[in-house]
Amino acid sequence: MDMFQTFHDVCADPNDYARRWKAATGGKVVGTLCSYAPEELILAGGALGFRIIGGSSAISKADAHLQSYSCSLIRGALDDALNGRLDFLDGMIFPHTCDSIQRLSDIWRLNAGTGFHLDVVLPVKLNTESARDYMIAVMGKARVELEKALNRQITDDDLQQAIQTCNGIRAAMLKLYQIRQASPGRVAGRPMHAITRASMIMDRHDLLEALTGVIAQLEKQPAPGAASGKRILISGGVCNLPDIYGLIESCGGSVVWDDLCTGSRQLTGPIAADGDRMAAIADRYLSRAICPAKHAGVTARGDELVKLARDSKCQGVIFVFLKFCDPHAFDYPYLKKMLAAQGIPCLLLELEEQIAAQGQLRTRCEAFLEML
Amino acid sequence: MSTQSPPDHDKARRKIKAVKKMKDIMMLYYIDAKTADQNGKKVAWITSGGPVEPLIAMDVIPVYPENHGAMIGASKMGADLCEKAEAMGYARNLCSYARCDIACATVNGGPIGGLPKPDMLICCNNICGTVLKWYEVQARFFGVPLFILDTPFNHTDYTTEAHQYIQRQLQEYIVFLETHCGRKMDHDRLAEVGRLSIAGQRLWQQVLDMAANRPAPMSAFDAFFHLSLIVTLRGTQTVVDYYTELLDEMKTRVAEGIGAVPAERYRLLWDNLPIWFRTRWLSERFGAHGACLVADTYTSSWAGSLKYLDEDDFLGSMAEGYSRIYINIGTDQMAERVIEMVQKYGADGLVLHSNRSCKPYSLGQYDIQRIVQQQMGIPALLIEADMNDARNFSEGQIETRIDAFMEILKAGKGAVC
Amino acid sequence: MLTVGIDIGSISAKAAAILDGFLLGSKVILTGYNARKAGLAVMQDLLAGLKLERGAVDRIVATGYSRNNADFAHQAVTEITCHAVGAHFQDPEIRSVIDIGGQDSKAIALDNTGRVKDFAMNDKCAAGTGRFLEVMARALELDLEAFGDLSLQADHPATISSLCTVFAESEVISLIAKGEGRNNIIAAIHDSIGARVAAMARRVVIVEPVMMTGGVAKNIGVVRALEKNLDCTVRISEYCQVNGAIGAALLAARRT
Repeated sequence: MDMFQTFHDVCADPNDYARRWKAATGGKVVGTLCSYAPEELILAGGALGFRIIGGSSAISKADAHLQSYSCSLIRGALDDALNGRLDFLDGMIFPHTCDSIQRLSDIWRLNAGTGFHLDVVLPVKLNTESARDYMIAVMGKARVELEKALNRQITDDDLQQAIQTCNGIRAAMLKLYQIRQASPGRVAGRPMHAITRASMIMDRHDLLEALTGVIAQLEKQPAPGAASGKRILISGGVCNLPDIYGLIESCGGSVVWDDLCTGSRQLTGPIAADGDRMAAIADRYLSRAICPAKHAGVTARGDELVKLARDSKCQGVIFVFLKFCDPHAFDYPYLKKMLAAQGIPCLLLELEEQIAAQGQLRTRCEAFLEML
Repeated sequence: MSTQSPPDHDKARRKIKAVKKMKDIMMLYYIDAKTADQNGKKVAWITSGGPVEPLIAMDVIPVYPENHGAMIGASKMGADLCEKAEAMGYARNLCSYARCDIACATVNGGPIGGLPKPDMLICCNNICGTVLKWYEVQARFFGVPLFILDTPFNHTDYTTEAHQYIQRQLQEYIVFLETHCGRKMDHDRLAEVGRLSIAGQRLWQQVLDMAANRPAPMSAFDAFFHLSLIVTLRGTQTVVDYYTELLDEMKTRVAEGIGAVPAERYRLLWDNLPIWFRTRWLSERFGAHGACLVADTYTSSWAGSLKYLDEDDFLGSMAEGYSRIYINIGTDQMAERVIEMVQKYGADGLVLHSNRSCKPYSLGQYDIQRIVQQQMGIPALLIEADMNDARNFSEGQIETRIDAFMEILKAGKGAVC
Repeated sequence: MLTVGIDIGSISAKAAAILDGFLLGSKVILTGYNARKAGLAVMQDLLAGLKLERGAVDRIVATGYSRNNADFAHQAVTEITCHAVGAHFQDPEIRSVIDIGGQDSKAIALDNTGRVKDFAMNDKCAAGTGRFLEVMARALELDLEAFGDLSLQADHPATISSLCTVFAESEVISLIAKGEGRNNIIAAIHDSIGARVAAMARRVVIVEPVMMTGGVAKNIGVVRALEKNLDCTVRISEYCQVNGAIGAALLAARRT
């Protein structure tokens, strides 16, 4: 059996997975749309953190609430909610992300009927003392509100255990990334995508076990030969199209690392083992790889990306983000410029969740890879 | 055979006299800004919802890329500059103010040959997250210090922790200014500027209140024009003097029964930013139907914080005042404010500008429309356009929608269509 | 009282004559490039066919995209108002109208007197309009007439996911190349237009019964697709294409 089958199964129908998890455990499912949602708090509360990425069908009801110039992530998610496809949710957590998510939260609260609704208005600035104090206060408040919503206590012990599990998951995911970077053939794009997607949906204890198992199997494998394919780094926002990896691979590229919201950016920053638990969690969210909707200095993201590009020894960067995603679109020109200064060429692919104009994407990828 | 305006015999009397004075004041203001370095003064670029009072107190000249953006739109130079920004790699769906300004800075474009180079950038995200990205771009381009005032979004409440966070940032702001201006803040001066700011806002609100009269002596299109001073020079005596004069003129007009629209029969409320490059056209189209846009949610935002500001403790009340503005609150709270305005100004209908460039203002409008229609039973018109990018404006289609909406209103008032 | 309503659209010009509250007849011609001429011509054709003189007409109301070009009409009224009035005349129970024209589509909520309460439009893109069907019929080398019936004969309807007409056409071509059954592709095309129009229509509170008007209402495939996507029955009348002109003629009679 394919060692990655567990992950593929989860990804085949995430909503169905959540329903079965609920039925089997009697636990609660909390939906999120952003990797700044406090995973550790949700896990400490005994709930399943469920990342919603776009929608599962063509839009039918969301157009009555959101204009067409909003991204397909929020339109798809709202459409799923309005059509009852997310009826397994016990509640939603909306961390502050971007203008679109901000307004989606209000519209969702007024219309979706998916259980409790927690807004966690994190700071946009991440690099000052006052922002840190505010972050700690907001996270602390989220803990109290989550306790009420889940109708149970979240003790410091619960937090500590959740932190350990999350740290373990992130460390394991990063190990997988490193294995792939060293020899891209070992973990192809499709299974890696399935793993990262499943990691945002699965029972986190099962996930840690499955990851540990996969890493053990990969390490037992003989050292592979020289890697083929041009080394590509993918950078961008939310990517729910596994086809992108397959596409790049079929055009002769190998994805050696990603700088995606739904990829490595959520894996950075282990949580300190000691000190006040809430402060430690807050520190992790302040220092993890930054999202373009947040600020930690005018070239923070560019510096991180250049470092990633150099460390991964990539030959080119493919930017992948959604049409109508403002924060990513604002960053793109300067990121491209900073990479060009390092002699690294870039390609931009603007996507929409429910549509895959394969022919056009293929042509661009092929042309880009031919250039490298 | 489109709806023709009946001849206006009062056209000369209908013109607002204060307009000329406003134009003079704004011209001097921009000249001042563009010659700042010659006069040993510093220039700060600041967002339209940003805390300008400390700048005034430090004698730093505040410049508003958004106000400049409106000028670019009104001069019909928006589409061109947007195209330039797209050539630089900025996506077409980004805010057209940002695209215009980013392009403008590289070519010194626009109607006044570009804005003066900033010595510092002040960005307050109470209006949107786009300004953060926009000002990051300009900080990299100009290589100047950037201060960000982060005002967390108020979905349902204004929280204690947000209040404390903003208060501390205001202190950081003052330290930032002291560092980059090389001198200490004069807190007495700041208190005085705060009092003038509140006085100016009160006068602006009173000016807007005049439109509750029938006929309204001014329309939202007039308000869009007269708005400039309360945005740019809030905290100065100039602003207080100007709005005092404007208010007097409005009172006279009310006494003499001079309306913004000859034969006002329908009163409408506008939501969202203006369509800067078509304000005259829109005014005429509605006017031809006897409809006056008597109020709007955009210009009233610059007096909306009065209930939170304290003239005896301006600095202490700034946090709440700058945080709880119209587009930094939840959609349902926005709907409540719209309903208040519908009642206050006696609006027969609602005109919603679905502005491609402004997500915080536009996303949620469909829900606001539904809530207002359910509660007030008034019809709504949706105009899909953009504040500055003329390529997102379809005249024929919008004309049809306006006509159809007016037909609904007329039928509602018993007129045979 | 004899009144005439003229609906000058981008593709076709329609005329209807009402005498003392009864529909005497209607006519449809192609608009061509001169909207004013087309408006006059369709009215004259209609009157000639009814053996009536121009002088017998008491009032004319023009509607449609080129309504303001018809200077021979007494008044111009938007097609939104006219479609509501026309639908109410044909069936007073109707509370919602969905009109799919050549270049736009609209949803109208009306009250029990045929007055418009609210409306929504798609006038920004071809998807969800008659143009979409034309483009697709051409890609499949078929007549528009047969299109609707064939869509109902699909055994396994395919899916088209593109929102844009141009890209949807590319998708259709890919489906053909993959050997997908012709009727299945046609069903996908009809479902696509049904979904787009339904999504737009939901911006208005849809109250049944719903009537579909406009030329595209003659396409049974679109009617069924709309019913499926809105989850309700949709009524049509034989006068669907001239509904706007009927409404205009009725409105003309309301002013003496």
